[in-house]
Amino acid sequence: MKAVVVNYGVGNLFSIVSSLRRVGFDVDVKDSFNTIQRGYDLIVFPGVGTFKAVARYLRERADVFEDIRSRGVYFLGICLGMQIMFEYGFEGGLHSGLGWFKGYVDRLGTNLKLPHIGWSRIYAAENADKICEIFNDINGSYVYFIHSYAAYPADSTIVCMVSHYGTRFPALIARGNTVGTQFHPEKSGKVGLTFLATLYRWIRC
Amino acid sequence: MIVKRIIPCLDVKDGRVVKGVNFVDLRDKGDPVTLAARYEEEGADEIVLLDISASIEGRKTMLNVVRDTASVLTIPLTVGGGIKGVDDISEILSSGADKVSINTAAVENPNMVSAAASEFGSQSIVVAIDAKKKGGNYMVYTYSGSVETNLDAVKWAKAVAELGAGEILLTSIDRDGTRLGYDIELTRLVAEAVNISVIASGGAGSLNHFYTVLTIGRADAALAAGVFHDGTIRISELKRYLISNGVEVRVL
Repeated sequence: MKAVVVNYGVGNLFSIVSSLRRVGFDVDVKDSFNTIQRGYDLIVFPGVGTFKAVARYLRERADVFEDIRSRGVYFLGICLGMQIMFEYGFEGGLHSGLGWFKGYVDRLGTNLKLPHIGWSRIYAAENADKICEIFNDINGSYVYFIHSYAAYPADSTIVCMVSHYGTRFPALIARGNTVGTQFHPEKSGKVGLTFLATLYRWIRC
Repeated sequence: MIVKRIIPCLDVKDGRVVKGVNFVDLRDKGDPVTLAARYEEEGADEIVLLDISASIEGRKTMLNVVRDTASVLTIPLTVGGGIKGVDDISEILSSGADKVSINTAAVENPNMVSAAASEFGSQSIVVAIDAKKKGGNYMVYTYSGSVETNLDAVKWAKAVAELGAGEILLTSIDRDGTRLGYDIELTRLVAEAVNISVIASGGAGSLNHFYTVLTIGRADAALAAGVFHDGTIRISELKRYLISNGVEVRVL
């Protein structure tokens, strides 16, 4: 099982790479996606950088990723990597995302301090798509968040899990072969590894 | 609901964990990688590594310590000490740190905070403030507490939040290593002045000290070193105590 972490900028890719390896993935890191990539089972958009820079990088390669996606390869977007899968975002002005999910990304509507940094529990969402059931074993667990923005999906059935920080926001989304987390599985201790291991088993099936 | 965080801090000199009193008189406390892994196991919410080496060799060793520590952790890692510019930050983040903590360099060149925040995102930039009471005010000190500045700690905290810091790591120099308790007044003044998270540091000696700084002191997180290193307080025990007193913390 091969995963590739997309290197679109600055920051720590070390943790996500080592977490994916821990649960069994064979992991590459790549910054060049100008040609069709073959042989990967999972493409990971890590949670580093800013919406504007990352969305620009990914939009320039949208055809390549669209092609990979249409061939049934799985995608995991973490934090910002999940946010840029939506149609547009308001971080640092209005910027378009990939548009794989309908909806937008905006500041968390909370009176609490931002960024929201720390551990919060995640809970299974009502009306979630059936696919979400595979993540039931982390329902009610604490995971690590570090964000000021959150997704506002047009279709609530893509939301598998929610969390609360003065307001309710999507913590885990899934549709088809695409999964996104607002939390950082690579920073969430054993729960994060459980999540990645679930993903591993799901893809292998 | 805010879930409060407990953060062990490892002061690292030439690849070893050390601990002093009022920033001086250092004693060896062990291997950073072993300690970090033990703290994660006991329920630490994050780990902070502070490089207090003065030599070039010590700084090079530190990047290896960051890499080795990041390899064993599955919780966030913050690294500080001796960061002078954006290149240093880039090097530390690519070695596996999630956040960097900037202290002296932020005071000497405040624009560096905004430059770092726009390059790496506010979430990776922690500004460390070392404060000491002088007359009726708290003043900011740099170079590990040895140089007094003319900055008021509360005003400086507001300024760095404005510049794009994602968090403040606030240390009371008067309390550091004394185990007399956190400086509650300082912590509360800063925590109420800014709209970003404040990590209280300096003076933890008992379970109640943590409770007080997280409630009356309004801190979002409490950092400690000595009491964890010598086993006076176990993180698992501390968390049970906090929960039984109505403070929400993560349990494993």
